[in-house]
Amino acid sequence: MTPIQEFLENLKQTPRHIRESAMRNGKAPETDRERSQSTLHNLFLHMQSVRTDRRSLRFAYTFGLGLILTASFVVLTITGILLMVYYKPGVELAYNSVKDIHFVVPAGRFIRNIHRWSAHLMVLAVFLHMARVFYTGSYKRPREFNWLIGLALLVFTLGLSFTGYLLPWDQLAYWAVTIGANIASSPREVTDAIGITAWFDPGGFQKQLLLGANYVGQESLIRFYVLHVAVLPLLISAFMGLHFWRVRKDGGLSRDESKPAPPARIGDRDLEVFAPTKTYGLMAVVRGRTPVVGRSPEGSVSSWPNLMWAELAAFMFTIAVTLVLSYFFDAPLKEMANPAIPENPAKAPWYFLGLQELVSYSAFMGGVGIPSIVLIGLGLIPYLDRDPRGVGIWFGGPAGRRTFWQSLAYGLTSVIALLAVTVNFGWLRTWFPTIPQIAIIILNPATVIVAMFSAWSLWVLRRTGSIRMSAVALFTCFLAGFVVLTAMGSIFRGPNWHFYWWPSQWPTH
Amino acid sequence: MPDSPKRRDFLGLTALWGVVIAMGTALAGVMRLPKPAVQPGPLRVFKLGDPAQFAVGSTTRVETGGFFLFREEQGFHAISSVCTHLGCVVAHNEGEGFACPCHGSRFSTDGSVVGGPAPAALPWLEIVLSPDGQLQVNAESAVPKGSRFKV
Amino acid sequence: MSGDPSRPFKWVTVICSVVTAGFLVAAAVRENVSADWRGHQAVFRGILLSKAKDDTARATARNLPIEIRQVVVPALHTVDRCVTCHLGIDDPRMTDVPNPHRVHPKKLLAIHRVEKFGCTVCHQGQGAALNFEEAKAEDYFWDYPLLPAKFTEATCASCHDPRALPKGSAEKLVLGMQLFEQKGCNGCHKLNGKGGQLGPALDNEGLKTKHQFVRANLKGSQTNWNWFAEHFRDPAGIVAGSLMPMPALSQPQVEALTVFMLSLRQRDLPAEYLAPDKIDEQYARLHPPAPDGAALYHRYCAACHDTGLHSRWDKKFARFVPGIRNAAFIRAEDDECLAENIREGRPGTRMPGWGPKAGGLSDAEVTALVAYLRTSAPAMVLPPAPPRGEATRGAALFAQECAGCHGMDGKGVIAPALANPVFQQAATDAFISQTIRAGRENTPMPAFGRAGVSESQIGDLLAYIRRWQPPTKQARSQRP
Repeated sequence: MTPIQEFLENLKQTPRHIRESAMRNGKAPETDRERSQSTLHNLFLHMQSVRTDRRSLRFAYTFGLGLILTASFVVLTITGILLMVYYKPGVELAYNSVKDIHFVVPAGRFIRNIHRWSAHLMVLAVFLHMARVFYTGSYKRPREFNWLIGLALLVFTLGLSFTGYLLPWDQLAYWAVTIGANIASSPREVTDAIGITAWFDPGGFQKQLLLGANYVGQESLIRFYVLHVAVLPLLISAFMGLHFWRVRKDGGLSRDESKPAPPARIGDRDLEVFAPTKTYGLMAVVRGRTPVVGRSPEGSVSSWPNLMWAELAAFMFTIAVTLVLSYFFDAPLKEMANPAIPENPAKAPWYFLGLQELVSYSAFMGGVGIPSIVLIGLGLIPYLDRDPRGVGIWFGGPAGRRTFWQSLAYGLTSVIALLAVTVNFGWLRTWFPTIPQIAIIILNPATVIVAMFSAWSLWVLRRTGSIRMSAVALFTCFLAGFVVLTAMGSIFRGPNWHFYWWPSQWPTH
Repeated sequence: MPDSPKRRDFLGLTALWGVVIAMGTALAGVMRLPKPAVQPGPLRVFKLGDPAQFAVGSTTRVETGGFFLFREEQGFHAISSVCTHLGCVVAHNEGEGFACPCHGSRFSTDGSVVGGPAPAALPWLEIVLSPDGQLQVNAESAVPKGSRFKV
Repeated sequence: MSGDPSRPFKWVTVICSVVTAGFLVAAAVRENVSADWRGHQAVFRGILLSKAKDDTARATARNLPIEIRQVVVPALHTVDRCVTCHLGIDDPRMTDVPNPHRVHPKKLLAIHRVEKFGCTVCHQGQGAALNFEEAKAEDYFWDYPLLPAKFTEATCASCHDPRALPKGSAEKLVLGMQLFEQKGCNGCHKLNGKGGQLGPALDNEGLKTKHQFVRANLKGSQTNWNWFAEHFRDPAGIVAGSLMPMPALSQPQVEALTVFMLSLRQRDLPAEYLAPDKIDEQYARLHPPAPDGAALYHRYCAACHDTGLHSRWDKKFARFVPGIRNAAFIRAEDDECLAENIREGRPGTRMPGWGPKAGGLSDAEVTALVAYLRTSAPAMVLPPAPPRGEATRGAALFAQECAGCHGMDGKGVIAPALANPVFQQAATDAFISQTIRAGRENTPMPAFGRAGVSESQIGDLLAYIRRWQPPTKQARSQRP
């Protein structure tokens, strides 16, 4: 062949050669072995293990919440970038740019709605996912560190949602952030009460850092924008990567190792890989901390296609739900931000309303104290409950299930009772108007709730002798409290933060 | 090969610590950026015109400044209208004091807390006479409760 | 455990994909096919076609693009998309077609070109919207909903002096302005720096949002014009505890005053938008013509003092209001006294100061008012006051004869407050003694001189009454 002919032949074969060079096997995988190889060798796919335990794919075990979270994040990133094409982060321009997105940008209304509902879905899913991981004991060794990474992801998710909330620059946004920033400055409540604010003012420092000024204005908007589109997405992506990495290295999703494994699916047959009667000899003992990869392939199925179908199902489910919501419900947008006219009632987004209810008693305890206590408490769970039994079983068994229901009942009734007291009788300052602020910081409904829950949890500990049971009790109490306080803040609080049974009873201003 | 005894690598140690110190300095410098060196926005000092236009016994709400101006027989005083709980704007009820719509904090006529979650009294703001004879309130500077400004 | 373990997931995926695709298509249709404005534009195309007279016109009509249209006016910071549906708004042929295709009434767009003004500068509303509901923005999260057609002339005042407009342009507004002056609203409300201080200043009333009004008792649409109308009908019903008297207005008058309220806007319009008559109006405000005392009286005083010929008891103030044009009173006062009373008012009562620093009246206006009051009677030469006697004797006499009306503390709720610092400053000893001696005709103040009170007793009373004199300023009475 002459050089010219060779050149032309190569040109003609280029499409096929491109395809073959892109795929290591040269073609789409057809056998199980080929699928395993593709999974292992592909940059994106190798994030998954080649084989997945069948029990990890059970819907009723995980409810696909982690996948829903990931899907929401992807949707948020894509819709977020699309919105960035039109959104303008200046106080004169922001509101009108959002109005334009709603009215004239092609598909703008739909995409903005998707972004908003997806954000709410993500926050809801993050709480549910945390509950699922907790109740299945999936924080125990070796997954403790992943639990901590998950807590960081929780904080970043809430941070992303909160920073995004300010960007439309409407009344809802402006006053929610004014309150948020004042919560950030609430350590002043403590430093004022003990008189050291002049020398040590973390509250003022935090507020300055957040707002770039003493008031919510252009500086704040741009800071929140930078956090929302750059800093927090980068952080959350990095930590998500770490989170998935740890899942892999910790042996995949947790499962109940005490029970015998279901058969493995190899090709199109179910096989007992490790015969139940055979024993295996020890070949060597080496020192070191190796990643635990479980007794795969026992009880496993090929990730491609089974895990991928599960992931696809979760992704499409998330997208479908988001689209349905976005079609029927518009993302809220009130009048343009007006510093002279406070919203009444000025409410934080729903996931912070429970905190806002607590904040209405004491800014420091509700805004800084309790969240810190809760976060630290959550972070300690895997290090306090070191019992390796009961992983992969919801509530750890029937005893745990009992503890769960009892704690739920206790949590609900105690918080509702406390709220009934405060609504009808007020609190310390109603009875003793001149009481010093430090007394209120120490003794207010938030601290009372923590005390009541801790007491219950300690009682469960003594009764059952199990740290996990007491953790289940405490977690469930807080979950119940969160639900009640959120409901309180969203439904039963009206203008002037007074109690009303229903929003239709709110007086017009 | 058995582990050889560790020999101090002075150069290596110095190099590593050098990196740590250099990066640490860089980090410290970078961390300074977000805290503003100068407050944006105009100084919150408000000139309100001739003191004579305020009748004795009058209450004036200065929205832009975020405070109420009172004139009584003993003189002028200005009380901030920003609730000390979470920053909402309080309403003034003649003779009764102030009430915050957001969480129900209540203050007496001199700004002291009488109810609700507010942790501190409403600050009294500094009043002076500007060189051109106008009443001037400095919303960034607080004075002790009870101080009056006499014209 | 045989069979395909992924089966349920495949089902979920299929269903969700169908739902996803379905809703995507539905959203696309909603935006690109069934949007209201597209329908309107299609209809307009038909109208253009029917009105086309030749082939070029027909071709233009057929090729009319269906797209969003907007008017961008950077000088006014507006982007108005009303013309997306109102395509015929400035087409003079569109007189016989239904809305939204009809031409703007009164040929107004010939002199207010859409490209220069947009729409919302006069009509309010949410110009960015693409459907009528959101453009109207009533009961919506928007500060300035579309003004009802009957109130739209309120915005004419932003660029024009309504009185200089051709007849029929802004009748309601002009009527509203006149009513405002005639009914004496300025007596309690400041406008352009002049007026009383019992009610709020009204300079920016038209730009207040619904959140700045007390709407607890407002029935019907939660708009500021509804608030104005209801407030004029029954002030205390809308604002609990309001001192505002009910003006007894007819429906057209209520609407006229509502339009006037809506027109009060402190807007920052670029100079090229202001009509010459508006600039004249602003000039006239800075250089007012010779003040008319009678008109000033009606504007600023009549709301409380009525004709001024008789004193009256005001139920809302729970206080007596003196008859300031009472002949006996005017006769006894000299012009300077009257001017000082007007300028300083009566602190502690509902009478504010009206001088340039307080109520905003210029010195010329105060002089004109005094001249008007003077028409009741010329000033008389007062007989000299008796020397001041003993205050203790005076106190006893005062308690017996005077305290019943004037109050032992001199605060006088049903008679003038003798302890008032401005009264003490403005009134001379001669004036006080003359009033005691001769009384005041047509008022309940008897002539004590004729009832047997001697000059020395008057002197005692004088000494007692002067106890309330403020120590700071030199009392006029001590000047010769």
